[in-house]
Amino acid sequence: MVILLYFVALLLAGFAAGIVGAMSGLGGGIVIVPALTLLFGIPLEYAAGASLISTIATSSGAASAYVKEKLANIKIGMSLEVATTLGAIAGSLLAAYVYAHGISQILFILFGAVLLISLYPTFIEFRKVHRRRMHRDWSTGFFQLSGSYYDRAKKRVIRYSGYRWWFGEAVMGVAGVISGLLGIGSGALKVIGMDWGMKLPMKVTTATSNFMIGVTAATGSAIYWVLGYIQPFIVAPVVIGILIGAYCGSKLLQRTSGRSIRMLFLIILGIVGIEMILRGFGVA
Amino acid sequence: MDMEDAISYVLRIGVISSIFFIAVGSALLLVNNGSNGFTLNQIANANTNINSSDFTVPSIMNGLLGYQGLDWILIGLIVLIATPVMRVVMSIFAFAYKRNWLYATITLIVFIDLMIAVFIVPGFIMH
Repeated sequence: MVILLYFVALLLAGFAAGIVGAMSGLGGGIVIVPALTLLFGIPLEYAAGASLISTIATSSGAASAYVKEKLANIKIGMSLEVATTLGAIAGSLLAAYVYAHGISQILFILFGAVLLISLYPTFIEFRKVHRRRMHRDWSTGFFQLSGSYYDRAKKRVIRYSGYRWWFGEAVMGVAGVISGLLGIGSGALKVIGMDWGMKLPMKVTTATSNFMIGVTAATGSAIYWVLGYIQPFIVAPVVIGILIGAYCGSKLLQRTSGRSIRMLFLIILGIVGIEMILRGFGVA
Repeated sequence: MDMEDAISYVLRIGVISSIFFIAVGSALLLVNNGSNGFTLNQIANANTNINSSDFTVPSIMNGLLGYQGLDWILIGLIVLIATPVMRVVMSIFAFAYKRNWLYATITLIVFIDLMIAVFIVPGFIMH
């Protein structure tokens, strides 16, 4: 009976993380890891394993919709995945080293820092600047970095092109390492690479990032599997909860203007980030 | 059906079927009060040593027929991990079909990275 309640509690934690992750735009993984470690006292490696697996589910679910609407740019996503997958291999091996040497405190500090940095681009998005998105260089032509999508709000087709592919690729390498190391999708870093680095439109950036996260997370998960970071009893309720939560969150986001509620979530996540860093330094 | 639609369906089918296996596995685990010779108490403990490293694909396949909850959950997770891999494989063929050799090659490299993570790196870890 107690175990059944524990299972339901994990399911609800996943559901809440899914909603907050979808509405804040950060993804469920970055929310569930602090919940599992700080509230449930689950070891960081098991929390990271559950998070990484959940990331595949939410990413694939969201990407399914984005790809159909042609918002996600498959070429740009695929070319950047070369770096994210290699980064994820390096990151998960680095995680194995850290856990084997009993210095997981470092990962708590890093996690908190990444969470705080991830909030920044989300704040920027509130300013809604409209820039002309037609940057070009040699990589625009060579890697075919242009495309178009239909903007529902503006009711017209938006054409775009990106540049500085090498810059995006470098940021993606780092995003991959972080993903493998902490068990998160590191979507915020991917957005920084494509939005700031390659100057792609925000909508294309978020959709393509979602599309890419599944492959990055699958790479890390395969290595997490043999390392034994995937604990079925924790993963099962968390994956189901996050997937349902993320679905509800995306629907809620369409209905409400969501500005104030998003702001509230971002503030809560900021506190959680600081909490993780304190935990890393051994402050209860 | 174009490439975008096909990829979209593969992603959806992958996620739905994996959730089905995970849900059935969870139910079996809770109803049978354990799985694979472990009690539910041993499995649900936050610091348990029972995890993915104890299970291989052949052992999971055997457990499916015996209605072992853990094996049902784990096959769901394998389906989930395989879903993005499937979409990479489909993209290789789609780019080759369009004679976009640059992107067929790039996608093949991503696939090789994935296979290194699934088959080669684990080999090093286990030895």
